Amino acid sequence: MSVQVITGNHAAGYALSTAGEANRNARGTACGIYPITPQTEIVEYVAKFPFSKGRVVPVESEHSAMAVSMGASMSGARAFTASSANGLAYMAENIMVTGYYRLPIVMVGVNRTLGPPWNIWADQGDTLMLRDFAWLQFYCENNQEILDTTLLAFRLAEDRRILLPVMTCMDAFIVSHTQMETSLPEQAEVDRYLPDLDLPHRMHQREARTMGGLAWPHEGLSMRLEIDEAMKRVPAVYQECRESFKEVFGRDPGDMTQTFATDDADVVLVVSGTMATTAREVVRKRRAAGEKIGLVKLKMFRPYPEAALREACQSATKLAVLDRNYAAGAGGVFWQDTRAAFQGHRDDLLIQNYLTGLCGGDVTPAVIDDILADIAVREEAGDPVWMGIDTGEETLQ
Amino acid sequence: MDVGAGERSPAGDAMIEIRIHGRGGQGGVTLAKLIATSRFLQGLSVQAFGLYAAERSGAPIQAFCRYSEDPITNRNLIYEPDHVIVLDPTLVGKVIMAGLKAGGWILINSPQQPDELAEQFPRNRLATVDATTIARDNNLGTRSVPIVNTALAGAVARMLGFPLREVSAALEHLGFKGANLAAAARAYDEVRLLESPRDIGAAAEQATQSSMGRGPSLLEGAGAAMPAIKTGQWASEQPHRQQMIPPCNHICPAGNDVQGFLNALAHKETDKALEVLLRSTPFPSICGRACPAPCMESCNRIEIDGAVNVRQMERYAGDHGQVTIEPLAERDERVAIVGSGPAGLTAAYHLARFGYQVTVFESGPEIGGLLRSGIPEFRLPEKVVAHEIDRILSLGVAVETDHQIDRQTLLNLAREHDAVLVATGLQEQRDLRLGLDGTEAVVQGIDFLDHVHRESVRVDGEDVVVIGGGNTAMDAARSALRLGAESVRVVYRRTRNEMPAIAEEIDETIEEGVAIDYLTQPVALHDDPSDGIRRHYRLACRRMELGEPDESGRRSPVEIPDSDFELACHRVILALGQSPDVSVFPEGTEVREDNQLLGLLETPVFAVGDLATGDGTVAGAIGSGRRSATHIHNVLSGDHVNITEHAEALRDVDIWRDEVIRADAMKLHLFERQPVAEGESLAVAERRSTFDEVHMGLEDTAEASRCLSCGVCNECDYCATYCPEGVLKRVGHRLEFDYSYCKGCGVCVAECPRNVIFMSHL
Repeated sequence: MSVQVITGNHAAGYALSTAGEANRNARGTACGIYPITPQTEIVEYVAKFPFSKGRVVPVESEHSAMAVSMGASMSGARAFTASSANGLAYMAENIMVTGYYRLPIVMVGVNRTLGPPWNIWADQGDTLMLRDFAWLQFYCENNQEILDTTLLAFRLAEDRRILLPVMTCMDAFIVSHTQMETSLPEQAEVDRYLPDLDLPHRMHQREARTMGGLAWPHEGLSMRLEIDEAMKRVPAVYQECRESFKEVFGRDPGDMTQTFATDDADVVLVVSGTMATTAREVVRKRRAAGEKIGLVKLKMFRPYPEAALREACQSATKLAVLDRNYAAGAGGVFWQDTRAAFQGHRDDLLIQNYLTGLCGGDVTPAVIDDILADIAVREEAGDPVWMGIDTGEETLQ
Repeated sequence: MDVGAGERSPAGDAMIEIRIHGRGGQGGVTLAKLIATSRFLQGLSVQAFGLYAAERSGAPIQAFCRYSEDPITNRNLIYEPDHVIVLDPTLVGKVIMAGLKAGGWILINSPQQPDELAEQFPRNRLATVDATTIARDNNLGTRSVPIVNTALAGAVARMLGFPLREVSAALEHLGFKGANLAAAARAYDEVRLLESPRDIGAAAEQATQSSMGRGPSLLEGAGAAMPAIKTGQWASEQPHRQQMIPPCNHICPAGNDVQGFLNALAHKETDKALEVLLRSTPFPSICGRACPAPCMESCNRIEIDGAVNVRQMERYAGDHGQVTIEPLAERDERVAIVGSGPAGLTAAYHLARFGYQVTVFESGPEIGGLLRSGIPEFRLPEKVVAHEIDRILSLGVAVETDHQIDRQTLLNLAREHDAVLVATGLQEQRDLRLGLDGTEAVVQGIDFLDHVHRESVRVDGEDVVVIGGGNTAMDAARSALRLGAESVRVVYRRTRNEMPAIAEEIDETIEEGVAIDYLTQPVALHDDPSDGIRRHYRLACRRMELGEPDESGRRSPVEIPDSDFELACHRVILALGQSPDVSVFPEGTEVREDNQLLGLLETPVFAVGDLATGDGTVAGAIGSGRRSATHIHNVLSGDHVNITEHAEALRDVDIWRDEVIRADAMKLHLFERQPVAEGESLAVAERRSTFDEVHMGLEDTAEASRCLSCGVCNECDYCATYCPEGVLKRVGHRLEFDYSYCKGCGVCVAECPRNVIFMSHL
């Protein structure tokens, strides 16, 4: 274990590479990966890594990148990739196929604004558009968390009870290109944490078979139900993976939902990604001044941790859901699922959506203060509030 | 534990935030990481990051660093830095002050003392270090882009009060060695600190905050283009358009815009091509047949696949172009021109174009001089000469033939006119005292060709020897063949390399069956008894070899002892060149083109053409005629017409380089090979029985498209096509560079085949 000052991209690249290397006594590792700002440093990192068994395959597009990783995974290799924004959109067909094939691929998504207008800065709309593709999704707030969660993702994805691909996400530049002190585990520790991959439905040369061909409605339904069952097992399996992580690395990779000062909170901020760091500090300062506010960070978005969230917000009367994304015509994605989570459970709860940090905007402590000021005087929930821009009279009505 | 060995932020916070201003490529982000790493190694929590957008090398960039003894809980940009570091002194200005806390440090990479800059920054402490020199001295980066970050890291340590070894440790931790450590250490020593702020209370610059107002609408066109980052400010070089002198234009004795008329022909604009030619020469059809074409000898295309066939293209333009010319003005002054060869007629042409009342005086019965009588029909048909002379006369030029001029009549002309030009050419024919001079055995080439022209000579069955190596010798030899000679030999005392005749004409002469004895000097002509039909002669000759070059640059022939031999013949034609007859001028007059003759008179009297220059070519005579006409015009009118001005060719260039462009300045690899169009000639067998023109001329203008247009934009648009930024376009005949966005990449320069675009340093 050594601590180094590195970027979030290199932290993610380190996790992907050591995880792949850890499978060297089994089928090794292989991945297709294609560069796109702000993910390119990950490509550079894994391409230089001296894998004992397997290799990084240069491809011509994101679509092919996932196709290569899918083929590698199907044949039993530990496979991974990484992409961002419009690259993910181009990769989308194979992302979906990977999920429905139940392949335990890990992908690092660097959250970047989907263009147009062209924009390279942070926005979670890119990975969130893939939310229904049978992938697990985790949103990380700093370099250490993206490293730890990416390692954990392999253990979780490859668990026989899960067998679903996992996306670990970080905000473009704010994590990906910011150098911070980061603790890097030894390869031996990673080896200990990630046992050899033994994929139950892997393809063998010796027994030819077709996978994913035409299925009658009832067969398809069964396979969908299996995915739903696997999704439901995630919270429990996650906790096992987390405990085991602590044991091997001596560090907590963090819970699926992370609460801060929620016990007697009247107002709770629901946040994700790097916003969580900033908002937590604001809550800490205002708590010190006696305000009853708390915070829930949703590290895991798929499956949506409904129960944990409800439990964390028991004392709250108002939730402010901060979304660094915008689902056109519907508002923030986290907000929609949060509303659904409380439907029929806490119909008295005021759940207000705040769209902030979209298209690379900086979510400063002042923005959090503005949100808290708004929700403090609010008597009922309204349309999502666009932060940082004057929406004008007509849209306020 | 304090932050940074005794240093706290100006506001007393435990967290220090530093903003770095630099240019892409200077290592600003790495400097942020270096500072962060030095603090990290001391156990602090750190962040280092850049602000990324579309910037590339040279663009202003910002990088940030924060460190704290507590875990950092801030994921924002830095709006109110404690300290600012400026990597490039040209960035010093308002932007570096935005949000800077009072009392914070400003570290500037500059050779200046802090005192010299202090007035601009009253609220802050100031440090300067000449990191550029330190980086260069340590060979960090390149001389034009020194990498200054490691030097500045050393300066930062001193400024913020932590030991050099902590920066050195960070450098080593990140893999920096030797020169970088040395640079940091030197900067640590050399940084100059101005500790006390002058006026903490001075007005602060506002921190940059994002606007809460509404942005632009996509539907109103906003966002359809990249944000207006004026990338041109990143440039260290800018492209400009220049023009150089093509070698053909430079060497043409007539002063023709060769590139200009070829460019018109390449665009199938034959009339335009003729119009370009007629600006300088009244004789394109004649030169298109009889010019030795030095332009072709200097053509840069020789380096690829052979010179452009300029001679044939000029002939095509002259023969096929349709241009009506008229005097450009009307003037009262009268100008007399003595002599009607190419020089006199060219001067008459240009003077008539200027609007003068011109009269040409010719001693013989018809005008044209040697154009008519000196070049035989098979090379220059009479009707071609007549056509071009008629064009001159159509400008209103008066002619007086059979008008012999002597010294007295010249004086009279000077009194009756406002200016006189004497263009009597080369009248005296050089002789060779072989014996039998003045007999019918020996005839001068010019006289022989005159007889041929007047169809008053035959040489049936004769063995003819022609002595000389110029075009007159070739023309005489070839004419003799056509007039029934049994055999024709040319005797020349040097080798083919030294022969002044046009190379193509020598080829045609040999093709037609004329033998050439090189390195042969005739020494005497002996009479043999007649056989009753004709007289027989023996020409005694001596073998020669080449020695040292003479005044003309040609190697002089030297006799080989005991090498004499004899040639039997019936006629000897002497074609040894001519010299001027200056008897009309007072004794001792220096006859030069620019010399006022008859100095006692006020009337300008000038010599022109071969009389003044001795050049001996039609093209040279044309150039001399044009120069003299322009000179006369400037004297009479007080104008300042510049003879070298090609108004059309000079359009819209940033720089006119008065320099000939040679092949090594051209990007010859960008041109495809394309063989020379030679055109068709009469079959050799046919030629002996006819004076019909030997060369048929080219049938189209395709050959003109072989012109490389050396140093002159011909609107090939490679530059605009390959400009990766799309900021170079041609508008009409102009090239427009959008310097707001041109980053100075130089692709346009690399892609221009003809050196029309150059880069200037900013």
